Amino acid sequence: MSVQFFLQQCLIGLTNGALIALVALGYTMVYGIIGLINFAHGDLIMLGACLALSLVGALGMTATGAATTWVGIGGLVLLCGLFCGLLNVAVDRIVYKPLRNAPKLAPLVSAIGVSFIFMNVGLFWLGPADKSFPELLPSTNLLHNDALQFTWKDLLVVIIVGPLMVALSVLVKGTKLGKAMRAVSQDPTAAALVGVDVDRVIAATFFIGGFLGGAASVIYGLYINTIGFQMGFQNGLYAFTAAVLGGIGSIPGAVLGGLVIGLVRALASAYVGERWTGAIVFAILIVILVFRPEGLLGRRVKEKV
Amino acid sequence: MNGSTGHGGWCGNEGPRAGLPREGIGERTVAAGKRRFYIRLMTPTSRFGRRFLLRLAGLLPVLAGAVAMAGCRPADPDLVKIVSSLPRTGSAKHQSDTLVRGIRMAIDEAGGKVGRFRIEYLDLDDSTAAAGQWTSEAEAANARRALQDPDVCAYIGTFNSGAAKVSMPILNLGDLLMVSPANTAVGLTKPGLGVPGEPGVYRPTGRRNYTRVVPADDLQGPMAADWALRRGVKKVYILDDNEVYGKGIADLFDERCRELGVEVLGHDSIDAKAQEFKSLMASIKATKPDLVYFGGTTQSKGGQLAKDMAAAGVGADLMVPDGCLEQVFIDSAGAANLEGRCFVTFGGLPPEKLTGKGGVFVNRYREKYGELPEAYAVYGYEAARVAIEAIATAGSKDRRAICDAALAIRDFDGALGHWGFDENGDTTLRTLTVNVVKGGRFVFEEILDEADLVVPSPDEPSPRVDPPGGGSP
Amino acid sequence: MATTRSPRTSSPPAPSTGPWAFLAQRWELATLAVLAIAPLVIPALGGALGGQVTNLFIYCILALALNVMVGYTGLVHLGIASFFGIGAYVLAILTVPMYPFQIGFLAAAVIAVLVTAGTGLALGAPTLRLRGDYLAIVTLGFGEVVKVTLRNLEQITGGMKGLNPVPPPGAGVTIAGIDLGKEFAIDPRWFYYLALLSLAGVVLAMRRLENSRLGRALVAVREDELAAQAMGISATKVKLSAFAMSSAVAGLAGCLYAASLSTTADPNAYDFNRSIMVLCAVILGGLGSIPGTLLGVAILVGFDTILAPWADSWIQQMDVNPKGLSYLSFSGWRLAFFGVALVLVMRYRPEGLIPSRRLAAELHDGGAGP
Repeated sequence: MSVQFFLQQCLIGLTNGALIALVALGYTMVYGIIGLINFAHGDLIMLGACLALSLVGALGMTATGAATTWVGIGGLVLLCGLFCGLLNVAVDRIVYKPLRNAPKLAPLVSAIGVSFIFMNVGLFWLGPADKSFPELLPSTNLLHNDALQFTWKDLLVVIIVGPLMVALSVLVKGTKLGKAMRAVSQDPTAAALVGVDVDRVIAATFFIGGFLGGAASVIYGLYINTIGFQMGFQNGLYAFTAAVLGGIGSIPGAVLGGLVIGLVRALASAYVGERWTGAIVFAILIVILVFRPEGLLGRRVKEKV
Repeated sequence: MNGSTGHGGWCGNEGPRAGLPREGIGERTVAAGKRRFYIRLMTPTSRFGRRFLLRLAGLLPVLAGAVAMAGCRPADPDLVKIVSSLPRTGSAKHQSDTLVRGIRMAIDEAGGKVGRFRIEYLDLDDSTAAAGQWTSEAEAANARRALQDPDVCAYIGTFNSGAAKVSMPILNLGDLLMVSPANTAVGLTKPGLGVPGEPGVYRPTGRRNYTRVVPADDLQGPMAADWALRRGVKKVYILDDNEVYGKGIADLFDERCRELGVEVLGHDSIDAKAQEFKSLMASIKATKPDLVYFGGTTQSKGGQLAKDMAAAGVGADLMVPDGCLEQVFIDSAGAANLEGRCFVTFGGLPPEKLTGKGGVFVNRYREKYGELPEAYAVYGYEAARVAIEAIATAGSKDRRAICDAALAIRDFDGALGHWGFDENGDTTLRTLTVNVVKGGRFVFEEILDEADLVVPSPDEPSPRVDPPGGGSP
Repeated sequence: MATTRSPRTSSPPAPSTGPWAFLAQRWELATLAVLAIAPLVIPALGGALGGQVTNLFIYCILALALNVMVGYTGLVHLGIASFFGIGAYVLAILTVPMYPFQIGFLAAAVIAVLVTAGTGLALGAPTLRLRGDYLAIVTLGFGEVVKVTLRNLEQITGGMKGLNPVPPPGAGVTIAGIDLGKEFAIDPRWFYYLALLSLAGVVLAMRRLENSRLGRALVAVREDELAAQAMGISATKVKLSAFAMSSAVAGLAGCLYAASLSTTADPNAYDFNRSIMVLCAVILGGLGSIPGTLLGVAILVGFDTILAPWADSWIQQMDVNPKGLSYLSFSGWRLAFFGVALVLVMRYRPEGLIPSRRLAAELHDGGAGP
């Protein structure tokens, strides 16, 4: 097969990977700070996408290609982000907060429970069948090349991930809140002793994670163009995988993990066959982790003795 | 063995109400030492502590008893029950909703009565919340439940052929009539076409109790290939969803294409849980097919596939089987992506062409729901009609007589046209309708009859091509 | 049957008088007795309920298998269903008419258990260095690989059609004029007893394990791998044993599953969803606790496969929903009910329904201990 075909597949893989990375970013916030494998994150995104679809319908947004569309998309991101962020904080308060001192795996079960509840809400919101998310962005090819296709929506996904990653890294590394987050992630008791309001920090983390989920839900709708009440599962699975592959708690790691998964998926589909993609992605993942047990960008943690 | 045994004999009327004693562990009655033990057992952290647990433990047997009672009422001489076993939770919910709509319509039309019996309909779920799809254990439980309730006279199901393999042998033991509105795997009924041992393994008693109102895969798959050739298709790319239905039909399409000399550029399976198929479509685009055939359903991502196909700029037409003949397929794909280029096959007559009882059904359905019935609504309706008709003919609740009455149906004036059952319990309907998507709706395009197919093979024109499996390429 | 010895590390000698003390000490025996007599007294167990309860027993075995990994050894395992599936498929390949082997159930089950144990070792050996969630993701990935492979190797596994019919145990064996194969096919109570017997055996084995040298080594590795190694415990050996034992028991559950349904069903029956549900049951019941695990399965699976369908048809028969509206039907709310149940149990019993005494003592710093 030609070089152009290879490039096209890489392009598709990286774009898909960027979307996975976007979901993984919201995921890794909560995961990195309180170590909760938040299986409800994918379903949170599903609810965000439901809201986005309802808003698009209510506002009568269509693809005009004009600046208003971009403003509208910005508004959607903001609204869905707020919605998901607040929902996430509410869930934390009601469901996870009473479990702060419970065994580590207890909140995992609660998260799965929340994911089922969200799914049921989505079932009533959307109905049982998949729904089409309208194409709001023009599908013109930006590369002016017949064999290589790269459209506005691909660009949107790719350009949003980089700045978000940098912003999050700065937030975690450079701000006071970030410092508090890192303190809580290392030792909540000690953090509380030095005056960190642990509950507020965790709530803030859930809000940021949820906000990113809400933003991802809009991008997801615009890029994949189909939403359904069961879409959260696969989303959450890949996000979790990307976050772990990149190294737990590492923000650039989550992005890198997402990109690797996307790229492997696309190339496996093109050169081995679509039916084997699932197996190949996870087989490569196992191999990577066997050789780098702390993930791609994770730090080796010294054993406490 | 008379028809109504099965496990019905185990149903007594005394429920296991006793259960574990729930009193006596009250705080005052337990000595201090024992008390310490319980506290240790239940951990002291929770307010609900042991009382919660003990109540729970006491409640379980009672609930179990209630469950046990549920299926064990004495037979009611004036009541027949029709049950359906379909996946009501999870991804197939839309399809099963439509089927149930059709079933209810048929029962309402009969006035909720058949002969001297009142009809009660029970909509069982063969999926679980945890799995989000059908499970063998739920299907087996439904079949056993239906069997042990002496009022149940017909079992409409299953949706998935895999589920039928679980319940068929169970129901066969009790001679309970099974009418499937959706199973298409050929091995369930047709000797010699499935794996060795099929279909005998599903009939441990050797008697027959299974029928289906949908044509098996051996109609739609091969005939779609014939149709494609007549349209001038030279190169196809075949996809399937790796499910029993989709893969079965795509394999038969593939086989027939090779027989007819249509070039098969590739045949791949998608994962029905995948979110997008952009790289697959880029690969397909590079092979430049005339037609992409997708063996699958709306639920297994037919819509997303069509959407990504259009977005990638694959110029080919798309052809799909009746699993996609529902409005939500168009909704999920986006009408513009299918306009004029998506063809859907369907085993039966199109609603517009129906006369007699079928025409009446179409009108009623349109009155009630404001739209033409979708494929699954028709199948559900037809399955329920068969069940009702069989009970009426038998005139009693003798399960064996009902099975025989159903299998003896030779000319049925139904919503799919005039058809009957052959000796395997398969429909004799060998008509294929091709629909095309126009203006966001399915529009009838062409009727094909198996008997009319005289397809010249491209090299040497022959008057007639052998049916699939028999011919040589 | 199930252990009659009181475990050495168990509760202090409870007062020896009174029926309650006896029940508390010998809960396994009492439960076993009740369950063994039940089918003879409760006629419904000869029908649908019998099949459902059998299924429950099989899940109990599967959950106990996972408990070895997650509960005792502290390794989070998200792919237990793949071993369940491998057990089912190996049994099916050795018994279905499609293949020339067709050896009996017992021999096939033994081979299936050995194969799953071997597969467990093969997965465990290269991944021993991984910790916590990194191991979790590897087991999750392994589960996906197994599922996709089962689905795609159609010539061997029958693809989505699965392998069937798996003959019932004792097919072709006639004892005292009873054709065992036929009896198994007709009366669910035969499988009920087979599953109950296997479960009792597994519970007994787990009890012995808990109090054995290896069992304590597992817990030591869970608590502090370095300290355990300093005490001369080989973490490698211990973890590998956990992998092998857990996989073998899961394989046994898979054998029973395939035989009781007479089909392997399709590979989707062994996907991530099932793994995660079993994990939920173990956590819900109480990590590392045998009665907890059993109760967790009873509640979770019982709710989903016995109670929910029953409530569903009960509501339907009350005829409150003549139009069949989705939000008035039970099945419309089924996911939410399930989710709320999970959330509530964890909210009020964060350490599980019956936490392991050992674990509870540690968590509460002697608060629960003597």
